Amino acid sequence: MAYEFRKRIQFRAGFFVREVLNGTVEPLVMLFVYTALYGSAAAAAGEGVGTEPVSLGGWTYPEIIQYVAGLVVVRKLIFHSRALDLATEIFEGRVTKYLVMPFRFFVLHQGRFLQFTLLQLAVAALVWCIGYAAAPAYWLVPVSVAATLQAGVLVLMGSYCCFLIFFILNALAFWLDVVWSLLVMAWFVIGFSGGALVPVSQMPAAFYGVLSLGFPYWMITAPIELLMGRLGTGDFLLGAGLVAGQLVALDLLRRWVWRRGLARYVGAGM
Amino acid sequence: MSVASGTKPSGADGGPVLEARGVRKVFRTFERVPGLRGILKNFVAREHVDIAALDGVDLRVERGESVGLIGANGAGKTTLVKILAGIVPASSGEARLLGRDSFDLRDAEKRRLALVMGQKSQLWWDLPPIDSFRLLKEIYGVSDADFAERLARFASMLEVEDRLKIQLRQLSLGQRMKMEIIGAFLHSPEVVFLDEPTIGLDLISRETIRRFLVGLSEQRAVTFVLTSHDLEDIEETCRRIVVLDQGAVAFDGGLTDLSQRVTGKRAVEVHVHPNARVDEEALVAELSRHGAELAGRSAGSLTVIVSAERLAELVPRLFAMLDVKDLSVERQPLERLIREIYRRGIDAAGGGEG
Repeated sequence: MAYEFRKRIQFRAGFFVREVLNGTVEPLVMLFVYTALYGSAAAAAGEGVGTEPVSLGGWTYPEIIQYVAGLVVVRKLIFHSRALDLATEIFEGRVTKYLVMPFRFFVLHQGRFLQFTLLQLAVAALVWCIGYAAAPAYWLVPVSVAATLQAGVLVLMGSYCCFLIFFILNALAFWLDVVWSLLVMAWFVIGFSGGALVPVSQMPAAFYGVLSLGFPYWMITAPIELLMGRLGTGDFLLGAGLVAGQLVALDLLRRWVWRRGLARYVGAGM
Repeated sequence: MSVASGTKPSGADGGPVLEARGVRKVFRTFERVPGLRGILKNFVAREHVDIAALDGVDLRVERGESVGLIGANGAGKTTLVKILAGIVPASSGEARLLGRDSFDLRDAEKRRLALVMGQKSQLWWDLPPIDSFRLLKEIYGVSDADFAERLARFASMLEVEDRLKIQLRQLSLGQRMKMEIIGAFLHSPEVVFLDEPTIGLDLISRETIRRFLVGLSEQRAVTFVLTSHDLEDIEETCRRIVVLDQGAVAFDGGLTDLSQRVTGKRAVEVHVHPNARVDEEALVAELSRHGAELAGRSAGSLTVIVSAERLAELVPRLFAMLDVKDLSVERQPLERLIREIYRRGIDAAGGGEG
């Protein structure tokens, strides 16, 4: 009884750390780093933090605070690698049972994406409400309903691209013994190139020029800028077009990898 | 190789339900070199090894046939099932299920197919079986009325009505396997692959499952392909037997035929005093007079293979010739049986029986 209780508490605590606190540590670190950076810049200019519009890379301190707040909410909606355990299913041969069933195996995982997204929409809304209640003066308030919808569309399209990338990397288990390291690396690259550590538009122009072509930028930095009113409908349409193209390309790659992988499947454990 | 005996007529479309023509399967793996140097070597220069699991298998199964696949570990039984069910592709040759390339089945063919794996759960581990069954009902598009009727009937036949709402992981092995079988039959499949469905089960559970399979086979023209190490499973549920040995078909024929030719043999284990002197030459001569052969010899025991019909005349002679401490008679071990069938298959190719 005590053992069962302990196991349940561990599970609940793990869920809280993974799903509720997830995505809050990096923004907190960003907050401290940016406060120090803007403080130094303001001190060098002979002004106090936040009282004068000191701008670094086109971003003022209050804007950066709003960006970090937006980041906390947006990251809740991005599909992450832990939400798929396809590689384990392949290693252990658990895929076998689905291969004889009259439905596409991928649909099952699309269902997982949908389930994740619906749950996380509620979590993101809750996080936004809590943040706004705690610090209304600093928290990110969308400039309009249209901007909110546009940002939401971009985040969800980008999240689906992440889902496809993680599906493809998991499917490499048909060839490789270990894929988790690839998933960790991919998660870091997507986060960095999307603006999870520094807004992409604050990076040097050459970086911005390249990274703004990829879906991660349109999944993290661009939606927050839309919410802040720094980007408009024209930018949204451009971003939606770019992300849609990458989404189609990733889906074609996913189909190709899955088909090739199935030809190598051995149905372990049967 | 002979083809099925005692088979039912083929399906309405006239073709076989399952067909394998020259099916080969080669698995490519690599040898891991142990130790630190091995890790580096594995990383830069892997040594690949090709393992031939199937080597030119030909098989034709008509509608309503119940086929038992037997063979030693590594003979290729499960690989053949995987290929026929469309789980893995053949390296060469052709495998067809319900008239279509097995590895390219559409949903329409998959709805007519079921797979039960004795060592792998088809149901969802964390759910009670009833929830898994409801999920399968939706996947296979079974009507509410059919689902309710079949579930009640199968649960009653397998005696698990009171276990449907208990989490699968909390059920015993036998109960889990019965649930697996219910799940496989809920959509009323025409072709069912059963890969060692009774492995690890007690006698009562085995008999219940066999009765269930035989009952369904008699009621509907379900095509069964059953792999098992347990000859009783095969004898009670299958009318046709295919023996695989080293990836090739060593025997393909009716159960009656096999029983008469091979399973009619008995292994007589004779325990003698370790220091007793045995005149082996005289013994072999005596055994051959009774159509028997010496299959094994150790310090304290002898193994003699003899046909069941001549067992009665041989046993007294063994007591007369040897200082017998104990004697047991068993059905011929499967491994030996398969070797014998394989040898007969080769003989048949040269014009002998088979």
